[in-house]
Amino acid sequence: MSLPAFKFFRPRTIEEAVEHLARHCANLQVLAGGTDLLPSMKQRLFAPAYLMDIRGIEELNGIHVRPGLGVEIGGLTPLSVVEDSELIRRDYRVLHEAAKTVASPILRNMGTLGGNICLDTRCVWYNQSLQWRRSCGFCIKKDGDLCHVAPGGKKCWAAFSADTPPALLCLDAELEIAGPRGFRRVPIKDFYTNIGDARIKLVHNEMLTRVILPEASSGWKGSYLKLRIRGSIDYPLAGVAVAVKQNGGPIEHARVAITAVNPAPLLVAAAEHALVGKHIDEHVATVVGELAAKTAKPLTTSALTPEYRREVVKVYAKRAVLAAGSN
Amino acid sequence: MADFSIIGKRVALVDSAAKTTGQGKYADDLSLPGMLIGKILHSPYPHALVKKIDASRALALEGVVAVVTGPDAPNKYGILPVGHDETALAVEKVRYVGDNVACVVATSEAIAERALETIDVEYELLPAWFDPEDSMKAETDWIHPQRPNNVEKDYHHVFGDPDKGFAEADLVTEHRYIAAEVTHAAMEPHCTLASFEIDSLTGQPGRLTVWSSTQVPYYLQHKLSIVLELPMSQIRVIKPLVGGGFGGKSEVIPLEIIAAVAARKAQAPVKITYTREEVFWAHRGRPRTIIDLKTGVKRDGRITSVAAKVIQDGGAYCSYGVVTILYSGALLGALYDIPNIKYDGFRVLTNKPACGAMRGHGTVNVRFAFESQLDEIAVQLKIDPVVLRRRNLLKPPCVTVNNLRVQSYGLPECIEKVVERSQWTARKGKLPAGRGLGMACSHYVSGAANSIIRSDMPHSTVNIKIDRDGGVVVYTGASDIGQGSDTMVAQVVAEVLGISLARVKVVAADTDLTPIDIGSYSSRVTFMNGNASLRAAQDVKRKIAGAAARKMDCAPEDVIMRDDLVWKQGAFEPGSNGTGAESSAAAEKGTVQEVSGRVEGQTLRGSLQQKRKEEGPKDHMSFEEAVVSAIDFSGALSGTGSYAPPQDARGGAFKGAGVGPSPAYSYAAQVAEVSVDRETGEVTVHKVWAAHDCGRALNPVSVEGQVIGSVWMGMGQALQEEMVWKDGLLMNPTMLEYKSPSAVESPDVECIIVESVDPEGPFGAKEASEGSLAATIPAIANAIYDAVGIRLREAPFTPERVLAALRQMKREAKALEITRGADPTQPRTFREHGGSTWYKGKGPQRHEQDPARREHHAEAVAGDD
Amino acid sequence: MRKELIELRVNGRTHELAIEPSELLLDVLRQELQLTGSKRGCDDSSCGACTVLVEGVPTLSCTMLAMSCAADGASAPEVTTVEGIADHGALAAIQKAYGDWGGAQCGYCTPGFMITVKALLDHNSHPTEEDIRHALSGNLCRCTGYTQMYQAIKAAIVAEQSARTT
Repeated sequence: MSLPAFKFFRPRTIEEAVEHLARHCANLQVLAGGTDLLPSMKQRLFAPAYLMDIRGIEELNGIHVRPGLGVEIGGLTPLSVVEDSELIRRDYRVLHEAAKTVASPILRNMGTLGGNICLDTRCVWYNQSLQWRRSCGFCIKKDGDLCHVAPGGKKCWAAFSADTPPALLCLDAELEIAGPRGFRRVPIKDFYTNIGDARIKLVHNEMLTRVILPEASSGWKGSYLKLRIRGSIDYPLAGVAVAVKQNGGPIEHARVAITAVNPAPLLVAAAEHALVGKHIDEHVATVVGELAAKTAKPLTTSALTPEYRREVVKVYAKRAVLAAGSN
Repeated sequence: MADFSIIGKRVALVDSAAKTTGQGKYADDLSLPGMLIGKILHSPYPHALVKKIDASRALALEGVVAVVTGPDAPNKYGILPVGHDETALAVEKVRYVGDNVACVVATSEAIAERALETIDVEYELLPAWFDPEDSMKAETDWIHPQRPNNVEKDYHHVFGDPDKGFAEADLVTEHRYIAAEVTHAAMEPHCTLASFEIDSLTGQPGRLTVWSSTQVPYYLQHKLSIVLELPMSQIRVIKPLVGGGFGGKSEVIPLEIIAAVAARKAQAPVKITYTREEVFWAHRGRPRTIIDLKTGVKRDGRITSVAAKVIQDGGAYCSYGVVTILYSGALLGALYDIPNIKYDGFRVLTNKPACGAMRGHGTVNVRFAFESQLDEIAVQLKIDPVVLRRRNLLKPPCVTVNNLRVQSYGLPECIEKVVERSQWTARKGKLPAGRGLGMACSHYVSGAANSIIRSDMPHSTVNIKIDRDGGVVVYTGASDIGQGSDTMVAQVVAEVLGISLARVKVVAADTDLTPIDIGSYSSRVTFMNGNASLRAAQDVKRKIAGAAARKMDCAPEDVIMRDDLVWKQGAFEPGSNGTGAESSAAAEKGTVQEVSGRVEGQTLRGSLQQKRKEEGPKDHMSFEEAVVSAIDFSGALSGTGSYAPPQDARGGAFKGAGVGPSPAYSYAAQVAEVSVDRETGEVTVHKVWAAHDCGRALNPVSVEGQVIGSVWMGMGQALQEEMVWKDGLLMNPTMLEYKSPSAVESPDVECIIVESVDPEGPFGAKEASEGSLAATIPAIANAIYDAVGIRLREAPFTPERVLAALRQMKREAKALEITRGADPTQPRTFREHGGSTWYKGKGPQRHEQDPARREHHAEAVAGDD
Repeated sequence: MRKELIELRVNGRTHELAIEPSELLLDVLRQELQLTGSKRGCDDSSCGACTVLVEGVPTLSCTMLAMSCAADGASAPEVTTVEGIADHGALAAIQKAYGDWGGAQCGYCTPGFMITVKALLDHNSHPTEEDIRHALSGNLCRCTGYTQMYQAIKAAIVAEQSARTT
């Protein structure tokens, strides 16, 4: 399968990149690791007139401690670097746990943290070749006007299927976004729309540059559990991230987030209330499991039945809480 | 045990360096000057008449050389003589989503792909059939008009007296089992390069050469001849390295024909390589199967009768289907002693890609049902599953009730070995909660005793040529597809001639150079081509030994050939001035130096004759020397050997009796250890002990590789592989979504080789590449039962099915919600949950947004910067 | 789309090539440089048959634009394909071991595994079985079930060590 034709840019600085973005807006696609974009381009899900490979912007690659602020991770930092970072493993455990489950080792060498955050939503009716999609009459997310997952509906339910965003939600991470008017910061919890075909709040002339893990989230225990069929390569069919702050005593702070079962990664709102002030035990964990399952609205966008994936969210949330307590 | 110098040794595949260095060439690695690229347009509809194809826009594109459509090559073909129902490209109608409509030939892949988007095809939709049980009821709109009710073929066999057998049984167990469709997913996508050469006499395109990823060069040559209306002598098929087959390349795949037709029309070499999606559409995998199985046993576990009704969802073309449905019935026999068998098999057409032969052809899904049911019976009778199987062993040599001749039979030893290694007796039933052991057996043919094109020709022929340099070239039609047949041939020849492997060069699978061999499928190659190689080597050995005998003044029977030396028995002891192979190799080196003029034939002969005169009759000589004397005595040195299965192995005379008989059967027994997560239904296979009776392991590394690979593939089918269909649309035509197992979840497999030494196999060898697969699925099913007490009768055992069954067992309300109402312990029919509205509506053509309808954005791009 | 002139560094040699921006590194290696060892097995970046090293890091060449590997001001990143692994014309230890231990059957996935295993052993000369399993998990093989690969890798480690000590 060949790629559609495009004009190619390789900016070396953020300014240069933003300039290209401003000039070409919707006709330009940003290429980072390429692990999702390039296969999607082969399938003609995207045929941008311009492709901008930003891997040459060196300042966006790396993990840096910013005293008083927290830890800053460049959007171009490969997931394998996040996974292997001793700092992340020690202080932001849930992110380490999530990063190491993404796809496969080779894909983590290529895929970036920024790319994982901006990952396109996925659906079995969407992530197919042009020829295939023609045979189903296309879908509401691309080239068509009907949804095969929820027939009659007008909303796209493609599932957000990245592993690190729920971890970042648990850490209350902030995203730095560069645009024509400079940089802006947005909490990751406000970055997603929960709409399958317009998943993130990023304007065409903007790009994600950095991720900031606040100091306040440092040292939280955490865990991430991922449902997939193979032990590697696969996108999540459900994922649960849990982070708790505990200093020998009861839980002081906690966040639980889920992925791959909605068009966005979502915080399980009531989980914090259920956990704070408690010691982690089977009962508390089970309560969180129920809450997580209530937040999950899986549909037939992937393998395994939605009903099953919802069940697993319940079990995995329980297990992730118990695991977070013990690491 | 016989004393061999090459056979039974662990040797690297002769082409392993080509593979590990990337130097070896697969079809897609080849290119020719002026080569064009072909891309195929596929049907978006499952069943439709093709009213009109307008390729004018495509032909107008710069770089497009030709567009090929059905009328360019309308002759029908098919792998089976009874199933000539395919054309290269759709002639009148399309029969599945992905069926072949047109082919664009262009100067690059990108141009060809763009051109596909501009071909306008007008279709008239027809009602489509997706479920085999519905399809069988069709009164109209048959997929092939000559196949009423969409039944490709049905067979109804009765052996012994099944009714009486059931009447005599103390226990009769009956259930429906269902297995999902799986596919080969060989790592190499199919590829064909076709090129015509200009005939010197006519000045017109003459001979065709095709390089193709095929398991069956001879059949490809045969079908190309039918479609192109060229004599077979004008067609040369060359098989380069093939990146895995598993049956998926064991018949002629549309691109192989299309590439040749396209090369003819474009008047240039054309290469077509399938995308991964096209590989899934080409398919020919293992069909979805419904098995209604009934087994009667006496109280002691002796089987009295078996009745099976099998329905296979065969897809839109016959392919190997008639053979598949026959294997499913025939191989109910030859594993256990079953006195009475009733079999009803239905191969049904549906509007989906054609199913064909896949590793363990026809036997796998039925074996899953059978071995699961045996396990159920063992539970009901409170007999150890091992004991139950031992009570039903055959007593070879024998002929089964369905006329299968069984000679070597290593099953008892296979069972013994896996029981011992897995510590079955000590551990069964005593593992921690959620963990269990399961056992199952299986078997497979070592090639079919009757070829699909009935004739009296040998199934394999091998030629050997030896020149004065002592280099041995073997010409074999055997198709190495990674299983190591080139190495097997080299080993057999080297063993017979008593030479080192390095001396043997194998030229394989090139129809111009190598004699007809019917291909690499049904695990026939070691047995049949191995036997032909053995005979060819013996033929040439006779000539060498005869010449050597004259030189050594002894009878030919007294000539020993081994370790690159030839000597007179009793008069010479190789390695007498040392021991073992090293010293004889050193001796050989010395001899080689002595006759260092051997590249100069005349000089060599002169020096040798001189030497002989001086020394008088000798008691030993180098292999080269023996070869030279044989050539001197009798001229060109060559040998030939062929193999045809013996008459008494060819089965009965009833309709359909041709499929199932084999000169020898392999046997396998396995124990699987699994654990089941009771909360999520996830199954982990920790270990599989796999014993396989391959007669004799010619190369243990290869045998182990084949057995482990089979077990692993069976594990994939048992737990995670499945072609997911929704109204004829394949939902997972990618390596990302078709879940071929990764290294992480792949179990530890311990392979135990059992050698029953078959009386007719080459050095006693039988098959090793397929027979083990079928046991793995029921072994895992039975282990799951042992672990958590659920009996899954629908494969694969996905976590949702396992969880639903667990809850059903605990009588939880709404237990089956997670499988949307389907009970995996009592499956009824194929389910296609989800599903879309596309087919019920007007279909693809309603969409204004189809990119093909929009102007290409190239202009916009060009106008921008 | 107009072709552009780029400089690629592959297996220690620099090549100047005219390519279209949309060309994948895999296609350029296979078609322009005739380095056909790297294979295409899927179209969705999941099988690993096309794995090459880019600056020592295992990378899918089917998911990498050739342009992205071209020299850009600074020198071009070093691309190593399976053809660049053999040791001065002889088989590297891991190549020999894969042959001897049945790590390669049909061989189509093997170049990708050679690259992955080389990278693994370059970074970790004593991997545990668990390390090996995880390192290999981005490359799919359909023949072997992976088991014989583990034996091959262990044999290669031993061979490397004895070569170093002698």
